[in-house]
Amino acid sequence: MKILVCIKQVPDMESKFTLQERWYDTHDLAWRLNEYDEYAIEQAVAIKEQLGDSDLTVLSIGPARVKEAMKKALAMGCDRGLHIEDNEVEQRDPQQIAALIAAHARDNHYDLIFCGMQSQDRASAQVGVITAEKLGFPCVTTIVDFHLQDGSITVKRELEGGLKARVSLSPPALFTCQLGLNTPRYPTLPNIMKAKKKEMITVPAAEISQEAAVQETMDIYFPEKKGGGLILEGDAGELADRLLRILKEQTTVMG
Amino acid sequence: MKFELTEEQNLIRDMVRSFAESEVAPSARERDEQERFDRQLMFTRLAELGLTGIVFPEEYGGAGADYISYAIAVEELSRVCASTGVTLSAHLSLCANPIYLFGTEEQKQHYLVPLATGEKMGAFGLTENSAGSDAGGTKTVAIQEGDQWILNGSKVFITNGGEAEVYVVLARTDREAKKHRGISAFIVEKDTPGFSFGKKEEKMGIRSSPTMELVFENCRIPRSNLLGEEGRGFSVAMKTLDGGRIGIAAQALGIAQGALDQAVSYARERKQFDAPISQFQGVQFQLADMATQTSAARFLVYNAAYRASAGLSYSLESAMAKLMASETAMRVTTQAVQILGGYGYTRDFPVERMMRDAKITEIYEGTSEVQRIVIGAALCR
Repeated sequence: MKILVCIKQVPDMESKFTLQERWYDTHDLAWRLNEYDEYAIEQAVAIKEQLGDSDLTVLSIGPARVKEAMKKALAMGCDRGLHIEDNEVEQRDPQQIAALIAAHARDNHYDLIFCGMQSQDRASAQVGVITAEKLGFPCVTTIVDFHLQDGSITVKRELEGGLKARVSLSPPALFTCQLGLNTPRYPTLPNIMKAKKKEMITVPAAEISQEAAVQETMDIYFPEKKGGGLILEGDAGELADRLLRILKEQTTVMG
Repeated sequence: MKFELTEEQNLIRDMVRSFAESEVAPSARERDEQERFDRQLMFTRLAELGLTGIVFPEEYGGAGADYISYAIAVEELSRVCASTGVTLSAHLSLCANPIYLFGTEEQKQHYLVPLATGEKMGAFGLTENSAGSDAGGTKTVAIQEGDQWILNGSKVFITNGGEAEVYVVLARTDREAKKHRGISAFIVEKDTPGFSFGKKEEKMGIRSSPTMELVFENCRIPRSNLLGEEGRGFSVAMKTLDGGRIGIAAQALGIAQGALDQAVSYARERKQFDAPISQFQGVQFQLADMATQTSAARFLVYNAAYRASAGLSYSLESAMAKLMASETAMRVTTQAVQILGGYGYTRDFPVERMMRDAKITEIYEGTSEVQRIVIGAALCR
């Protein structure tokens, strides 16, 4: 089975961000692998372990520094890396990013593509979906469970309001991965060292796709600080119900 | 000159930090209170992550990484639990490393491989009741009889003692030779008849790391378990301790960083006089000193580690790194307790444990005084 995992390198979310005109200042930040993409990598590696004869490519778009995140993916078990070099990646819109991934995937006939549900910085949650559309693949978003048996796939996806849905489909397909799908493995030290020797190809973005943007971020800013948080009032039973509803709908603590 | 870590070193730090925070930190307080060594967590898990043989070549079961990676691993473990940090340091630097440096090919295959893969755990026996800083005062004796060596004597304060399966032990093989000349190094396996464990020390700090007495009573080991040349054990011990100092320096560095992180985080939360105490210049000055000293220690530690990997001499540099890092750890943890005030003095916060843990780094694997002797002698040679 040929599998593609699309990952993004994002700043450590504990960073102190300074804003520029349309994005944050990317200098002097500590960079990490996007959390949701770790679930994507883990799922792909788990499939390889299940099937034995799979081939895992990890793809990332950005300047040379993104190769560090790719090395982590290789150390976790991906077989090869495709680095699409783009020094102005933060100016691309989701359509352009998806066009780059789709252009590569179209020629390489992947059976499965895994993406994170969204990136921790831009959080558009569009790249996976648009990529699937461009490839004509079925796409299931926010998956929290994945089963592959005899060539057919059953996944659980997370809906709003604490609901879940079960979806079944066949390859080729694209999935976006949500918190709760799995616990990503640690890249062991020997595998970190071996990752150096795995194939890593860098291709300039312009050689793959030059699709135009269809949207533009005009400004980014910190929201005004609101004090006080949320105060619930009422009798105990009603308060408990409302609190439970908020926890279910707006957080992941209720599973 | 490059001051940046490599991609691999960054990945190793991320991995070990993530493991340390999610798996090691949660039980650190309880293990300290109960003086409990958790082998599954503090050794077997490290082996699964490939940490028990970091610096050794793949052919000996290692990961083939460098000493900076090793220092980073010990630092990150010690940032949340100094007992786990020293477990790795004593195993790798004090037992596996002398076997790698001085062992025959057969000894490496038989002992180093299972140590590096973490199938077996290692320890080092040098210190005795009457031979601490003065290693030349070793009284444990080894007498050759046919194809065997017979060991008699005892070793005290042995980290990983009782838990480890493989021990590198120093003993006097020539009672006529003066001081350090007649000492040899041996590999002794746990469960060898005549080899037993005495007192388990009850310590101020690193309480989750076992410290035991080793007792040898007509303990017979094969002749082939001599490590290095007969009579050259002192040199084996000194070389071993040069490497060990990098591990302990990294442990101290991790303790300092852990305490600094706790202090900064607490200072930003804790309000007095209607403001977070981090807004007060008096607190900021303390934090500034703590951070500056910790950074300075880090550069010394990584420099010694770099030299060890590059095949350069590092005896002087590792002594400086250990001296600086351990004294920094003691100062920084003491200041961290001060910043946390009454809460810092309670066991509800980890800084009091860090302060107790820091003290030993000024004592074991060469006291601060011994480090100054090493550094001073190198300057005035």
